[in-house]
Amino acid sequence: MFRTTLKNATQSLICPVLAGLLAAAPLAALPSSAEANEKVLQLPIRTDGPKTLDPVAGSTTYENMAVSQIFETLLENKYANPYEFEPRLLAKLPERLEDGKRYRFTLKEGVYFHDHPAFPDGKGRRMVTDDVFYSLKRIADGRYQFKNWWLLENTILGFDEFKESQNASGATFDYDAPVEGFVKINDREFEIVLREPVYRFLWVLSMFQTSIVPREVVEHYDNPDDFGFNPAGTGPFKLVDFTPRRRLIVERNENYHEVRYPARDEWSRDDRRARMHMAAGERVPFVDRIEFTMYVEDQPMWLDFSRGRIAYVEVPPEYFDQAFIRQTRQLRPEFAQRGITYQANELLDFIFRGFNMDDPIVGGLDERGRKLRQAINLAIDLDEFSEAFYNGLTVQYDGPIPPGLDGHPEGGRAPVSYRGPNLEMARRKLAEAGYPGGRGLPQLQFYTSLGGNNAQQVEMLRRHLARVNIRLEPILVDFSTLIEATNNRRAQIFGFAWSSDYPDAENNLALFYGPNEAPGSNHYNYKNPEYDALYERVRVMEPGPERTALYEKMRDMLIEDAPFVGSMARTRYYLVNPWALNMRPTERYWSWFKYVDVDDSKR
Amino acid sequence: MWAFIFRRLLYNIPVYLGIILLVMLALRVQDPVYAFLGKSPDQAQYDRIREDFGLNRPFVVQYVDFVKKIVTLDFSERSWDKRMPVNELIATSIPPTLLITLPQLILTGAIAISIGLIAAFFRGRGIDKTLVFLTVLGMSVSYLVYIVMGQYFGAYWLNQKLDAELFAVQGYDERLSTVGFWAGSPIDALGQWVRYCALPVMIGVIVAIGYDTRFYRAVMVEETNRDYITTAKAKGVGRTKIMFVHMLKNALIPIITRIMITLPFVITGSILVEYYFNIPGMGRTLIEAIRGKDFPVVQTFTALFAAVFIISIILTDVLYALVDPRVRLK
Repeated sequence: MFRTTLKNATQSLICPVLAGLLAAAPLAALPSSAEANEKVLQLPIRTDGPKTLDPVAGSTTYENMAVSQIFETLLENKYANPYEFEPRLLAKLPERLEDGKRYRFTLKEGVYFHDHPAFPDGKGRRMVTDDVFYSLKRIADGRYQFKNWWLLENTILGFDEFKESQNASGATFDYDAPVEGFVKINDREFEIVLREPVYRFLWVLSMFQTSIVPREVVEHYDNPDDFGFNPAGTGPFKLVDFTPRRRLIVERNENYHEVRYPARDEWSRDDRRARMHMAAGERVPFVDRIEFTMYVEDQPMWLDFSRGRIAYVEVPPEYFDQAFIRQTRQLRPEFAQRGITYQANELLDFIFRGFNMDDPIVGGLDERGRKLRQAINLAIDLDEFSEAFYNGLTVQYDGPIPPGLDGHPEGGRAPVSYRGPNLEMARRKLAEAGYPGGRGLPQLQFYTSLGGNNAQQVEMLRRHLARVNIRLEPILVDFSTLIEATNNRRAQIFGFAWSSDYPDAENNLALFYGPNEAPGSNHYNYKNPEYDALYERVRVMEPGPERTALYEKMRDMLIEDAPFVGSMARTRYYLVNPWALNMRPTERYWSWFKYVDVDDSKR
Repeated sequence: MWAFIFRRLLYNIPVYLGIILLVMLALRVQDPVYAFLGKSPDQAQYDRIREDFGLNRPFVVQYVDFVKKIVTLDFSERSWDKRMPVNELIATSIPPTLLITLPQLILTGAIAISIGLIAAFFRGRGIDKTLVFLTVLGMSVSYLVYIVMGQYFGAYWLNQKLDAELFAVQGYDERLSTVGFWAGSPIDALGQWVRYCALPVMIGVIVAIGYDTRFYRAVMVEETNRDYITTAKAKGVGRTKIMFVHMLKNALIPIITRIMITLPFVITGSILVEYYFNIPGMGRTLIEAIRGKDFPVVQTFTALFAAVFIISIILTDVLYALVDPRVRLK
């Protein structure tokens, strides 16, 4: 009787559930809301995506990715060569006046903001000079927590003073207050006067935080955060839906100003072989809609890519062997047969271990300190680090300038090099430093952050140094404590990484400029008057052989003084599904989705 | 009854105030603003955040203010990381959690109690041994393994085989959080629920079922040795009636205890499932806030979770009294 009851109960419970699941399945398979004839580009966002779509409130790569579809900057990285920039909201590149102390800009004609209720009749208006000044002034507004102030600090004439006065206690931020360095000529032309000629300023104008926003839309909302959820820019796409952590959908901006796909001759021979030039001269954007999916874990992203549901994927390290033959770094045939292509991009990484140059043991520019640091460099095997912790997917190089930038040593090896492992030379240097066989050298403290595989990395570091009798005491702390320890110069040696903000070695060389010492970005507290003088020269120079030669000289000075152990840069591998056309994934900037097309017949 | 509930609430007020005090102290051991700002903080930025959130005020003032906010359910301060009011985060995080945890709780309870009854009834026999083996096996495998395998076989392999999209590998349809969607197009809503929630629910049930079955089996086994069971058998009462009427009713106290212990997690959500399936529920929101050093969210959520736990303990006591007349509400 019991068995009969159980059987009946099972049938009555399970059958409807299964039937329900299967009945619901076809409904679930229906596309969300896109029209059947629309070209829809599905893209992944790693982690939980952007927190805001307001350029001045953003800082992460995910905010960059989202903001760059809706807003635009005056200058933009070239799709065919991201190491160079081109005018985007400008009619032409800025004119360099007074040896680079003053730039004259001419805005492009026919650029309109997206429609928004804040505009008369809800129709987006034409972008004008005042929008540029307003957008830059927002960076100085304390209501946005000065998140991106570092971009323009000490750069524009009178701007730092403007920031101080407008954010003084009791003051109300007045966007109409003048800034000495902002000179309006008319609605389309203006000049910006710099405190001193700084070439990086032009790169700053290509960064998403300096995107141009319309004042009336920002001020339409009482809370400064709300614009980040209701943005209106000039970009190729308009916001359809942004629910943080859940979804982000944008659609084609029908009033987008004329922007065309890079011409055939802009592409390199390799790019042309990869058929990147096929859409040359065509007007962008190509797709009607972009749907971003947030992936906090790698497996779902990988599975969705494998099912062809997203256009591309950054290959997670644990899936590298599934897609590539490790020895040759070639795509596995089963992937190639499916029409999947790949691209490898070296990141502008500077992964290092830094010395506090103010420390009495490891610091100082005297022979003792310098030789000790050189000995530590010579004892460490970066290749083993790369194999053990980065699946061998890093590039090891001398100095602080990552691959791809002017000043990076050819083949990664500089004329002066203390890259290990060279234990014999390390022991010799150690003896010259006054610690023969490591005798007399106290245990050194190494600060690094908890998490990831840092604990294991520390063990390898200890083992490498123990080979030359240097003892290391690891201190694993959370990231904020690590920052605190470096900022107040307590950390003797510390582990950090730096990713270049823009593709110019000046950004990395600034890390060793004396006035930037802790709590600034010069966490090493490296102070070398000769180096500082060279840095002050190069930062005002335009790209060219003369500047590159100085970069190399500064790089070699750093290698000789060895305020850090390094360096490594990761290589990102991307896979692209065959239905995504013109796709050249990069993390250096994110405004390239407008160049991507889809071919639904290849899905 | 109401007097009892009121008394229990009253007794728990000092406990709750103590918890809040501890939470607030713990969150201020390390300067939360410094932790949030990270590398090279700007002093002006630091000062502004401290002022905005009132962290520059004396601790007592902050404590009183926070208690006042809890009492009035005023969670309007903005998340530092997500730039949204905390009450909005709570409101958007609870529905996804409930859509996972409630079906999971009901299914786990029903299945585990049934299996527990069957195993207890056939104690020592093949069916019991098999069920015990399977539950121990189920408990021995990590939750993460179930998730990874579930995603692969449930949302990838199965979809490939069926050439359909039965289960999504991750994600959530936010329309599921609205009553309008369920009322307006229930079939569509069910379809979306199956797509995004059914797999996490199934995985959750499989993981929980081992632990629950073992517990319920032990409870039922204890009940089978009671005199009333022998009496019922002597009177000729059928096996099914003994199990589902007499035994189940008498085992309700430990069953309620078990379910009520689980109840707070219905609100707090499962961090692992929500995280790996990218479901924007309470568990994931909290873990992201901890990672993002999002002080207002961590403080509010911790206070909220503590309240949920206390309420569930009070509810457990009340339910004891309701199901067992021997328990007096004194």
